[in-house]
Amino acid sequence: MPIYEQAYRRYEARAPLRPLRFWPITREALRLILAKRVFIFLLLGAWIPFVVRVVQIYVVTRFPEANRVLPVDGRLFGEFLNQQIVFTVFLSIFGGAGLIANDLRTGAILAYLSRPLTRRDYVLGKLGVLMGLNLAVTLVPSLLLYLIGLALAPELFVKWELVWIGPAVVFQSFLIALSVSLLALAVSALSRSARVAGLGFVGLFIGLEIVRGVLVNIADRPEAHVLSLQNDLRVVGNLIFGITEHGVPVPPVYPPVVLVLVALGCLAVLRARVRAVEIVT
Amino acid sequence: MTDVGSPLVEFQDLTVSYGLVQALSGVSGAFPAGPTGLLGPNGAGKTTLLKTLLGFLAPDRGRMTAFGLDPTTQPLEVRRRIGYMPETDCHIGEMTAASFVAFAGELSGLPRDEAISRAHEVLYYVGLGEARYRRVDTYSTGMKQRVKLAQALVHDPDLLLLDEPTNGLDPQGREAMLTLIADVAGRRQMSLILCSHLLRDVERVCETVIVMNQGQVAAAGTIADLTGPKRAVYDLRVKGDPAAFLTDLKDKGCEWREGEDGYRVFLADGHGPELIFTTARECGVQVRHLRPGAESLEDVFLRALGEGTQA
Repeated sequence: MPIYEQAYRRYEARAPLRPLRFWPITREALRLILAKRVFIFLLLGAWIPFVVRVVQIYVVTRFPEANRVLPVDGRLFGEFLNQQIVFTVFLSIFGGAGLIANDLRTGAILAYLSRPLTRRDYVLGKLGVLMGLNLAVTLVPSLLLYLIGLALAPELFVKWELVWIGPAVVFQSFLIALSVSLLALAVSALSRSARVAGLGFVGLFIGLEIVRGVLVNIADRPEAHVLSLQNDLRVVGNLIFGITEHGVPVPPVYPPVVLVLVALGCLAVLRARVRAVEIVT
Repeated sequence: MTDVGSPLVEFQDLTVSYGLVQALSGVSGAFPAGPTGLLGPNGAGKTTLLKTLLGFLAPDRGRMTAFGLDPTTQPLEVRRRIGYMPETDCHIGEMTAASFVAFAGELSGLPRDEAISRAHEVLYYVGLGEARYRRVDTYSTGMKQRVKLAQALVHDPDLLLLDEPTNGLDPQGREAMLTLIADVAGRRQMSLILCSHLLRDVERVCETVIVMNQGQVAAAGTIADLTGPKRAVYDLRVKGDPAAFLTDLKDKGCEWREGEDGYRVFLADGHGPELIFTTARECGVQVRHLRPGAESLEDVFLRALGEGTQA
């Protein structure tokens, strides 16, 4: 039978413009990422520190003297979130490297941008994927941990002076997720290969951490602390959660400023690279 | 469906540049409802015109409207009513054709259930019904072209933009694709712009044509008007030195170009074949073959491009 004998139905209703146009992009990309078994294992692995912290809270409730060795207070959440940064980096490498790079390689970017979508919708959709993944290993376990703390050890957490923990956890989780996600997305937009983008992201995040370590410990350059984005996020977390043990010999305003500059740089890259038409001048 | 007669897309004095390179230089014209061909050699500005229509490029000067809307200021409203099949690859490799086309429908604003249902229908329509659960990156070139058409059709656009739809297809695949496009334009009454450098593709599907060259509209109108019997055309072969004969014909107001087997002569207005015989006798050549011809789209195309024809 010739192909044109097949049915084709006109769609009489005019599809309206959606208010949340980015949502299908986020949903479909998450569906594709979560279909990979390796990724599920990575996500589960990222929850191991949560289990450890729950055990810590439980032990302190059973043996109050353990609180001297394993303090259970606001700092616990700061340290927990600092630990989770490394998982957000790995999730962003495996989940984020190809998000834009693959679309540039296969031309799928045209499939998006020739639709009633703005470039902002597209970036928001892709950012939503990484934000979702990263918040799943920062915000969700932190808040759950807080609730478990309130339930298991009300004498430790139900205090007026500790009411800041909830908002602090939300703020720091979003800061980590947004910083890492934006960087991963910008790096992905700079390449047509997910592999190259992944390596670039590793270079930026883990490479800078190594450079920081070398400069600080061998060349004795303390200002190099701001070079590492992981370290900048940790410093902000330490400031918020009052962790004073790991002091950094740079003015405390430097790390947040670096993070803001990096975020602006990422937005500039995305603005330049996410286009339906490549303009070479 | 759109009103027949009123142009869907109009552009006036449109100038579009890529940095320092001017791709369209003050072009004016209109795409009426129905199938229209956009012809021109590579680099003529065809794709730039389509990308301006989609709101990807903002004109430096001039104005374009589609369905009465300005694509520069209302790109979403315009894109909602357009289906675009780009020249280059355009797919999400990890998705099956069914998921990809449904996703495309959803991005165009269709409710999810409707998008899924239409994706299956459209994939059957383009002949990929049996292969719709296969990943798109495992498809052949011809199948990928069909998926591109399906994703452009899924939301039932008012205007379909097809940029070189037969690129990379073998003769059989090309024929099937053209049959499909002709069906979309004919039986489904969908307006479309077929952008191609292949004259036969355009002739097969379209009623009207715009010929572009070097960022300008070189010719526009219905194919019937452009190729109509305005002048007598003859295909001929001669024995002897043709140079003087052809120069003499040119002096008498005729045009000619080399054909597949001899020459194609466009006689000056008001003249008949006797002019050829008279000139041949004067120049001492024998006319060995003379056959009346009709001006083809290729003649119009070459004339518009100023190539091939000696006047």
